[in-house]
Amino acid sequence: MALIEIEELEVVFGSGGRSVHALRGVSFTVEEGESFGIVGESGSGKSTVLRAACGLAPVTGGRILIDGVPVTSPRDPAFYRRVQMVFQDPYASLHPRHTIDRVLSEPLAIHGFDRREARVEQALVEVGLGKGFRFRYPHQLSGGQRQRVAIARALILEPKVILLDEPTSALDASIQAEVLNLLDRLRAERGLTYVLVSHDLAVVSHMCERLMVMQNGAVVEQLTRQALRDHATTEDYTRNLLTASEGFTRDPALQT
Amino acid sequence: MTAEPTRPGLSQWLLSEQPASRNQARLGQAWRIWLAFTRNRLGMVGLGIVVLLVLVAIFADVIAPYDPLMGGDLRTARLLPPSWDHWMGTDDLARDIFSRVVHGARLTLMVVALVAIIATPIGLLVGTTSGYFGGWIDVVLMRITDIFLAFPRLILALAFVAALGPGIENAIIAIAITSWPPYARLARAETLSIRNAEHIDAIRLQGASSGRIIWGHVVPLCMSSVIIRVTLDMAGIILTAAGLGFLGLGAQPPQPEWGAMIAGGRRFIIDYWWVATMPGIAIFVVSLGFNLLGDGLRDVLDPKAQQQ
Repeated sequence: MALIEIEELEVVFGSGGRSVHALRGVSFTVEEGESFGIVGESGSGKSTVLRAACGLAPVTGGRILIDGVPVTSPRDPAFYRRVQMVFQDPYASLHPRHTIDRVLSEPLAIHGFDRREARVEQALVEVGLGKGFRFRYPHQLSGGQRQRVAIARALILEPKVILLDEPTSALDASIQAEVLNLLDRLRAERGLTYVLVSHDLAVVSHMCERLMVMQNGAVVEQLTRQALRDHATTEDYTRNLLTASEGFTRDPALQT
Repeated sequence: MTAEPTRPGLSQWLLSEQPASRNQARLGQAWRIWLAFTRNRLGMVGLGIVVLLVLVAIFADVIAPYDPLMGGDLRTARLLPPSWDHWMGTDDLARDIFSRVVHGARLTLMVVALVAIIATPIGLLVGTTSGYFGGWIDVVLMRITDIFLAFPRLILALAFVAALGPGIENAIIAIAITSWPPYARLARAETLSIRNAEHIDAIRLQGASSGRIIWGHVVPLCMSSVIIRVTLDMAGIILTAAGLGFLGLGAQPPQPEWGAMIAGGRRFIIDYWWVATMPGIAIFVVSLGFNLLGDGLRDVLDPKAQQQ
C-alpha cells in the first residue's frame, strides 16, 4: 500500500463566474521512502497539489489518503506530526519578529514535546547551522540559512513526509546545491518521503526517482528519472519542457 | 551590521550577532530600536516632554508650591497676574494656577494611560479576529465598528458621559469606548495583509490553534502600527478629555483638570488672560509631545519605513 494516495483531486478557488479551476482530477501515489517530483510551468497547479494535500487549499473533489486512511478536514494534530512542508520563499516563511529559537520551539510547544531545548539545538546542528544561530532573528540570516531553518522547522516534529514547494528556487545557484544536498542527506538518514514541486527539471531529476508533469491543473504524464534522462517521453508537452530546460540555444540558421 | 568597536562592554553584548540567550536577543533588539530612535531629534523632544509629564505627575506634591484645591485669601489673592510668588498667576478662587497645572498632569496622565490600556486591547482583539477569520465574523465585527465610527468622537463621548453621569472615571470610559474602532480597523488591515503570508501558513501547518496564531503570530506584527497610532491619538484623547472637562462633563470641580480650568477662565479671558491660557499651554505642550513621540516611533517601528 502506498504512503500517499491522491485520487481525482479537484480544487476550485472562488465561486460563481470568477471561479478558477486549479486542479482537474489529479491522481498519483507516493511510496514510503520515495522522492516524488511534480514539474510544470507557472500556474499549472503543481503547488496547489501540495497546498490541497496539507489543508491550505480547499478540496472540492477527490480523496487524499495517508497510509490508506482518508485525511480529516480540518486536519488533526497527528497529521501535522506526519506531514510537514517547506515553503518556497525563505524570506516570507519565517516570522520576522520571532527568533530562530521561537520558530523552532513553537511546533514543539503545540504538540507537547519534551526536551525542547535539546531538540532545538539538535535540529540546528542537523541542518548545518551551529547553536550560535539559535537566538538570532531571521533578518540576521542569509537566504540559504533561512531555508535551513525552515527545513529544521519542518523536521523538528519528526514527520515521515516532507512536502517541498520549490525549496531552492529563491536561492542562488551555489546555495541551491548545498540545500539540495542537505535534503538528500536528511532523506537518507531519516528515511523520509519527499514530494518535491519544482519548475526546474534538473533539480527534479537530481532529487526524485519518479515525477509527474502537470499542465493547466491536469496531469500530462508520469515518468521515471531514467525516462526523463533518456528523453523517453510520450507527450509533446514534456518534450517541449525538456527542450526548454536545456537552455537557450542559438539557432544555427540565424548565424550568418 | 556589526557591533561598534569603539563601545566595549554592555553595548557590544547587546549588539552581539550571536546572542546566547532569549533575553539577550530581546534586549539587543530593543537596544537597536532605541539606537535608531535616538537619531531622531524631534522624536527625542517628544519623548522628553512625555517623560517630563510623567515625572511631574509622580512628584506633583513636591513640585507644586501651593495646595491645588485650597485657595489663598479671597480678598487679596484672587486673579493675581503671573509673578515670582505665583508663576502662572492665581484664579478667581485665589488658587495658584501653577500648582493646579502640575496636579492636573496626574489627571491627564491617568486619562491617557487608562484609555490606552482599555482601548488598545479591544481594538487589537476585534481587528485581528475580524481580519483573521473573515466571513461572517468579519462582517458582524466590522459593522459594529462602523456604527461607532459613524458618530463624531466627541459627540459620542458626550452621549456616553451623559448616560453614565459626569465625572473623570466615566469620561475615561466614554473616551475608551469611542477610541477603539480606528485601532480595530488598523489591526484588521494589517491582519489581512499578513494572514496569507507563508509564515502564517507554516504555523498553521504545525497544527497551531487560531487563538495561538492570532495572539502569538498576528498580534506582534500589528503591534507596532497600533502603538504608533495610539501614541499619535494621545493628543486627541487629551483634547477630548479637556473638551469634556470644558463642557462640565469630565472632571468635576474642584479637580484641577486642564479643560475644566480653561472653562473656568473663559469668563474673564480678556481681563485676566493667564487663567485660561496657562492650562491651554499645558495641553498644547503635552499634545505636541505625544505627536512628536508618535512620529519618532513611526520612523523606527514602521516596517515600511524600515525598508529604505
